[in-house]
Amino acid sequence: MNDSLTDPVLIIFILGLAFSSYLMLSNNDKKTTMLLMSSLSFSVVGIMSSAYTYIIHNKMVVQGSTSFCSSEGIVQCGSVIGDPQWNNLFGIPWGIFGILSFSVLIFLSLCLYLDKHAKWSEDYLNYSWWAGIAGLPFVALLIIIELTQVEDAPHICPFCTIAHISLIGYVGSIYFLRIRRNMGKWSENEG
Amino acid sequence: MARRRKTLTQKGRDDDVRIIAGFVLGSILTVIMLLVVIIAPPATIGPSEGELAPDFSADAYNGINWQNFKLSDTFDYEWEEGEEGEWILIQFIDTDCPYCWSEGETMSELYAQWSDSVEFITVTVELSINNHDSDRAEVEAFRDKTSYGTDENDGDGCNSGRDNCINRPGTEHNWNYIEGSSSIMKDWEVTGTPFLAILKPDGYVAWNQYENLGEEDIESAMERIVGGSQ
Repeated sequence: MNDSLTDPVLIIFILGLAFSSYLMLSNNDKKTTMLLMSSLSFSVVGIMSSAYTYIIHNKMVVQGSTSFCSSEGIVQCGSVIGDPQWNNLFGIPWGIFGILSFSVLIFLSLCLYLDKHAKWSEDYLNYSWWAGIAGLPFVALLIIIELTQVEDAPHICPFCTIAHISLIGYVGSIYFLRIRRNMGKWSENEG
Repeated sequence: MARRRKTLTQKGRDDDVRIIAGFVLGSILTVIMLLVVIIAPPATIGPSEGELAPDFSADAYNGINWQNFKLSDTFDYEWEEGEEGEWILIQFIDTDCPYCWSEGETMSELYAQWSDSVEFITVTVELSINNHDSDRAEVEAFRDKTSYGTDENDGDGCNSGRDNCINRPGTEHNWNYIEGSSSIMKDWEVTGTPFLAILKPDGYVAWNQYENLGEEDIESAMERIVGGSQ
């Protein structure tokens, strides 16, 4: 099996995604709270994986390689995060963009989680939705870059993929929350 | 709409939780940035002396064909000060720039002296000036000193189209000629050509021409920094 896929850190991230997905899909009488926890959990996994890709980026730049992720095979980080042409946007590493983007999502979800009935909660749910949607084109762009543009493409960077799935999961959680709001089920005691 | 309004009429908390959320987020970011700085602090990247040279990946002409070239592949990350290693001389040129034309001879002389201990790299770029269009054929001819264009000052050839590339001063340049781009120029802060920099074997900039204008020329810098010419 590819070494990248048995990386303990990667397994922790995958478990984080699985836990977030469980929160999103589970059915109980606290569904709104569960979905808010799910969005929060997805964004925390996203920010952690973004930070990890930034660490790998810094290691690659200074040392040329890193023990944190494989540089061989299709599933690897070296050819993606180590590619000077594609590992940044206007000179800023993608990991930094991920950290900043997920920070916004964490803030919005945390505000909603702490006070679901605040007067700004409806606006914040909309902000969360549009902020998540705004990130999806970047995920698509990065996947295209991984598959077609980097040296010896295609490659799949596992930690980048964790961040991508986290964003998609976040958007999914917010989507279900919006449905609950529109159906008048925002309050827990309404189903 | 009516149903939505019903949910929003529920009373929220008296305190503004956004302040709490801001503090929590600040704490998370602080922990993350501390971990990043401890585990893998970001390097200062740039063309100035003491900075890590900006990396690039582009096609390079080696005298036979064009192949992908990545600058950082030439770095020896294990190298330490005082150890022997292969230094890197990077030159930015425009094949139509008159100063680059005449520097062809200087580069040939430097190569004759230091080719054993220095990797020579030339990055070709196009300055935004009339008659400064250079295609791959012109770059190949400039490097190899082969016939391209005429000596008729008709805009065809090297040196702003004034000369046939075969007449470039110096000998054939037996090193990689990289197909540069505006983004590489931007990363290297190249505003004019020719531009030269000497990199340590580990990729850190040891000498930048812009920082030594009028003080030290490339020959003296090579002698002082690399030393041991053949």
